[in-house]
Amino acid sequence: MSSPLHAIDRLSAWAGKAAAWCIVALTAVVCYDVVARYVFNAPTQWGFDVAYMLYATLFMMAGAYTLSRNGHVRGDVLYRFLSPRTQAALDLGLYLLFFVPGILALAWFGIGFAQESWIMAERSQTSASNIPLYPLKMIIPVAGALVLLQGLAEILRCVSCLRHGAWPPRLHDVEEVDLEELRQLTQDGSAR
Amino acid sequence: MKQARFGLAFLALMGVGIVALLLVPDQITRGHLGLLMLGLIVVAILLGFPTAFTLMGLGMVFGFIAFYRPGQPFFANPIFDQMVLRTFGVMTNDVVISVPLFVFMGYLVERANVIDRLFHALQVAMHRVPGSLGVATIATCTLFATATGIIGATVTLMGLLALPAMLRAGYDVKLSAGVITAGGCLGILIPPSVMLILYGATAGVSVVQLYAGAMLPGLMLALFYVAYVIVRAQLNPALAPKLAAEHTEVPLAQVAKMLATSFLPLTLLILAVLGSIVAGIATPTEAAAIGALGAVLLAMGYRKLTWARFKESVFLTARTTAMVCWLLVGSSLFAATFALLGGQALLDGWIKGFNLSPTGFLILSQVIIFLLGWPLEWTEIIVIFVPIFLPLLAHFNVDPLFFGLLVALNLQAAFLSPPVAMAAFYLKGVAPPHVTLGQIFHGMMPFMVIQVLAMVVLYVFPQVGLWLPQVLYR
Repeated sequence: MSSPLHAIDRLSAWAGKAAAWCIVALTAVVCYDVVARYVFNAPTQWGFDVAYMLYATLFMMAGAYTLSRNGHVRGDVLYRFLSPRTQAALDLGLYLLFFVPGILALAWFGIGFAQESWIMAERSQTSASNIPLYPLKMIIPVAGALVLLQGLAEILRCVSCLRHGAWPPRLHDVEEVDLEELRQLTQDGSAR
Repeated sequence: MKQARFGLAFLALMGVGIVALLLVPDQITRGHLGLLMLGLIVVAILLGFPTAFTLMGLGMVFGFIAFYRPGQPFFANPIFDQMVLRTFGVMTNDVVISVPLFVFMGYLVERANVIDRLFHALQVAMHRVPGSLGVATIATCTLFATATGIIGATVTLMGLLALPAMLRAGYDVKLSAGVITAGGCLGILIPPSVMLILYGATAGVSVVQLYAGAMLPGLMLALFYVAYVIVRAQLNPALAPKLAAEHTEVPLAQVAKMLATSFLPLTLLILAVLGSIVAGIATPTEAAAIGALGAVLLAMGYRKLTWARFKESVFLTARTTAMVCWLLVGSSLFAATFALLGGQALLDGWIKGFNLSPTGFLILSQVIIFLLGWPLEWTEIIVIFVPIFLPLLAHFNVDPLFFGLLVALNLQAAFLSPPVAMAAFYLKGVAPPHVTLGQIFHGMMPFMVIQVLAMVVLYVFPQVGLWLPQVLYR
């Protein structure tokens, strides 16, 4: 049970972490644009288009990665007091009822959306740079398929939890608040 | 469990409300379907499923019904294309694009480990003030939360850093807990805050004006906190005893040096980012990118920027951005369906039917937002529920900018309201075992009262929020 599950987790994490580097490129592009405008007095034509494409790639491709780390915000006021089996039963039902229709539509109808753009070799209208728009639209079916696949892994998680009464472990990853490191940090601080 | 019972009561209340809603009208129109959808979303969110997909699911199901024409093939229903179009709408949103950049800047500052230097410097610099540790905590929280915008990190860090220091100095447990939780939440109010960007994106209000407007109310709230701590410490010195001499007798030159290496760089970074936005030199997106670059330099200056930390910031930024933006995708589809069903029109007519005065409307809307702030996260409130009030603002002659500032202050209070205040749980997670959740909640109460007071002040003197935008962008 756990090996296909973790294989999907790893695929999502790989894609998400690869796309995560868009933030560095985004920072660089926007900074360069500012410098070009104020210092060289020659704003780029492509800066705006490239910036929003990087932003869109970043969040779309990180969707599955975030799901694999349970990182999508959830109203857990009640949820966290439920037993793992009840949590899994609820989640399983809602994955089938809410998640699958939406994401399936996104992935499947996203193909047609991207195809249309590809056929007419659509270009960005927002600036004079005329950057091709279809690669951005192709992100939709790709990211949709990744999120759908990760949703399948989450459904497997629910089934496993229903069977064994405990949630299968998630892969370790960086956390927003790294308690161990912070503890160490404050000990250093008070020792100084 | 208290929380579970509270949640169940909330669910039951919503259930009764939905049934009542459907029984009242003589015939159920599409508008009522919209209202049903709105009621169901609250219930569905409380079931604990990731909200982005809950919104998407309800939007799809109700949208399918709304678009349904007899004899139409199943997959010809336009809702499927709507799903893709709405997603693309978020992908090309030129306001939300600044979110990942501010988030990136926040994680970099967080990982630069500047907070302990900052706290020590401010603590030494302020030792003459009554309740100096408490005041230094609020000042540290304000500055750090402003730069990072991450409530969890700020409260946790200060819980590890300031709480033991205050308890060692003999401070009252409740006061110490209240100071940390209230101070830590300031990050979502004081610009550059992500919450204001999301409000700007959903309400169509300029983020620049929101930033200019939120600055004074945010600082006002921080000053109220400081004043409260000083007054309490003056009235009852046992709550916040003076520090022992060995902690405070630091030569002035050394104090200046400590401030120059901790307080100054962070303040300059924030001022550069905010200043360039408010002065109109840079768009929020540009300022955020420069801020992120500044944060890299800051972390390098402290020699804390390892490759591992940089990578962590990159990955965390991706996850937080994905969380926010997928929520926007879901809410965008949800809102489209809600509008299509005519739920908004029905609700508007219903609220207008009460013949409320503008004041009455403001109080009603803020109370509803406050109540929703108990079980829900601020992200959910801003993208799902605040938009419902927006079309009514013109009818009641309320400035959307002013409304946004009230909402931002309001959500501060919701953050501190027991029994589900996240800040309390973050603090409890790192507090010494003898500090109970009850004590933390108790300590937060006075600060909640101060927040409500701040809202009243803002309402009575709107100029606190509107003066700066009016001066700058007349």
